[in-house]
Amino acid sequence: MQHKKKAIAALALVGTLALAGCSTASGDGGTSAAGDCTPSDGKVDLTFTSWIPGIEDAVQLWNDENPDIQVAVQTGPNGNSGTYQNFFNQLKAGNAPDLGQIEYDALPNFRVQDGLVDLAACADVVAAEDDFVPWTWGQVTLGTEKEIYGVPQDSGPMALFYRSDLFEANGIAVPTTWDEYKKAAKQVRAAGGYITNFSQTDINQFAGFVWQADGQWFQNDGDEWTVDLTGDASKTVADYWQDLIDEDLVSTYPAWTDEWNNAYNSGEVWSWNSAVWGANSIASGAPDTAGNWSVALAPQWNAGEAKAGNWGGSSTAVFKGTEHLYEATKFALWLNTSDEALTALNTSANIYPATTAGLDLPSLQEGVEFYGGQKIYDVFKEAATQVNPDFVWGPTMTQTYADVADGFKAAASGQGTLFEALENGQTTTIDALKAQSIPVKE
Amino acid sequence: MTTAPAEVAARAAENRPAPRRRIPVPHKAAIAVFIAPFGILFVLFYLIPILQAVWQSMLVIERDGTFGEATEVFGGLAQYVLVFQNAPFWASVARVLTFGIVQVPVMLGLALLFALLLDSPLVKGKKFFRLAFFVPYAVPGVIAAIMWGFMFSPNLSPFTALTKSVDFLGADLVLWSIANVVTWVFVGYNMLIIYSSLLSIPTEIYEAARLDGASQWRIAWAIKIPLVRPAILLTAVFSIIGTLQLLAEPQVFASFSSAVISTYTPNMTIYATASVPNSSLAAAFSVVLALATFALSFTFLKITQRKGADE
Repeated sequence: MQHKKKAIAALALVGTLALAGCSTASGDGGTSAAGDCTPSDGKVDLTFTSWIPGIEDAVQLWNDENPDIQVAVQTGPNGNSGTYQNFFNQLKAGNAPDLGQIEYDALPNFRVQDGLVDLAACADVVAAEDDFVPWTWGQVTLGTEKEIYGVPQDSGPMALFYRSDLFEANGIAVPTTWDEYKKAAKQVRAAGGYITNFSQTDINQFAGFVWQADGQWFQNDGDEWTVDLTGDASKTVADYWQDLIDEDLVSTYPAWTDEWNNAYNSGEVWSWNSAVWGANSIASGAPDTAGNWSVALAPQWNAGEAKAGNWGGSSTAVFKGTEHLYEATKFALWLNTSDEALTALNTSANIYPATTAGLDLPSLQEGVEFYGGQKIYDVFKEAATQVNPDFVWGPTMTQTYADVADGFKAAASGQGTLFEALENGQTTTIDALKAQSIPVKE
Repeated sequence: MTTAPAEVAARAAENRPAPRRRIPVPHKAAIAVFIAPFGILFVLFYLIPILQAVWQSMLVIERDGTFGEATEVFGGLAQYVLVFQNAPFWASVARVLTFGIVQVPVMLGLALLFALLLDSPLVKGKKFFRLAFFVPYAVPGVIAAIMWGFMFSPNLSPFTALTKSVDFLGADLVLWSIANVVTWVFVGYNMLIIYSSLLSIPTEIYEAARLDGASQWRIAWAIKIPLVRPAILLTAVFSIIGTLQLLAEPQVFASFSSAVISTYTPNMTIYATASVPNSSLAAAFSVVLALATFALSFTFLKITQRKGADE
């Protein structure tokens, strides 16, 4: 009998443990209804996931000032490199963090997966609209009138980072149009370098080029999506870079690798068409070239135009399942509008604020040492005003990026072309939308 | 992989007289307690996930409007139709099969060779070599892939003289560069399985062979290899399964090789599909891959066992 009692007790114990394990995984998700934006009683603990270098320091500032709303920050790889996959899995498992960093291009994807809380219930968020650069607000409302799916954090207006020392020493003028850029590429190649590295995996950079050329990859008229990866602008951009690859005027190192850093650090590659946050990437990836870089406005498709693309830019979104919507939005607003947070993020990661007031931050008025003391943010401030505000992102960008990147990789290895990769991406994206039962025009 | 122990048990049973009557089992409750932890964990983390994957693979999504709320409804075998229409998936299956046909024999050949050398009385420093061959297995696959990727890198490798002229990360060679990493990691592991099997061969057989004037070479060929055949088959089945499920090494290589796309191996295809996220299609891929793995392992065992019976 003794045996039996103990056995039953042991079984019961194991059973409860197992059940406890299950319930923490699938419990508290989804039940707390959104739309209720009222303060909670007592101390609130929030979780937040981001991949901004140095985000911990900014969060620490908040935690020091707000003992009743403590934020635990977790960092991970940048969105499409793993954090988004984690978010999707966490949402399915019901244990997503309260807040997460989501780039504008991924917001529709999370919206389609029903992972985001509409922040319009919070009066503070609605009232903050006027603080933000209008097009960034457009990116978080997803083209709706009243719904708000994130607080804009930063934007990524694109410009041309270039090695002013090498351009000058070789008597090459800074290109102002893409035609001049190609001519300069030939001169750079003759001097033994590459004008830039074509990244096969940064499809959002390529989208920035298309954006600058007035292209539009997606449209959503409320009834159905239109997918157009192969429009005229896309073809112009794809053919342009295909030419540079074919003529061996650009290198094709896989981006964000040691090889890639080395190509910049050793002076093999002379320029990078990147966003404002790229200032940080160069400084950390190519430390030996400090002081030799400058920033100019992006080359134009037609001389005399003033257009800029955008690459990246994030929002702080609140995930379904949070029990503290009010506190979460309070933190998100502080992180993305307060001078102290924006200064901290700018200093640690060259984050470029999405608020209009943020553009006048003292730290954005100073010269940057790595860029020979140039006031680089003046350039980006100008570029930011040249970004077409109406670029729309599709609801399965992770998939679109992956499929186009596969094609770009093949093109860089000499199989197929960039435009063929876009054509294939067009087909697979439509298939992916259909698989999600999202209405799409064919 | 389950057949090998069963086979041993079956042989053992043949040699023993069958028990005449059933002995009543005492302490049933105690046995239940000891089995319970395994049973509960097995059900929770093995059976339920498999059933859930099968169930998930039967679901399709329905929604209204462009941002309408999604509901998952039963869709029968709809996802499986998509699986069989998915050209990149089948290209990835063909790729790992090519990989396996070359890599598995090379790896097991090396493992057998090293095991025989360790077992041979002619070799000195056995303890050192046994450990040295096994150490790569202690290195996590991801770390091994990063390390080898660095060595294959055209400009940063310590062997740039070679890597600048031979593109180990290019479309022609990268599959074999990955094979090199996998071989490096797993030779020692397979060697150890074969070696432990060699150790269990009774020494009387060697004595008899030596009395008959057999050389070491002859002993290895005519005695050792036939007797460790079950161990070699076991490692072969493990390797076939491992090959079809290749993920970590190519996933790491994808970040620094233009030739490794997001659907390079079946498991990478599944990972990419799950990242969309399209859980149902990913589940259907997984079920098909599991069935293919099972079928291939089973066929391999059937063929090799029939051969063994013929001899």
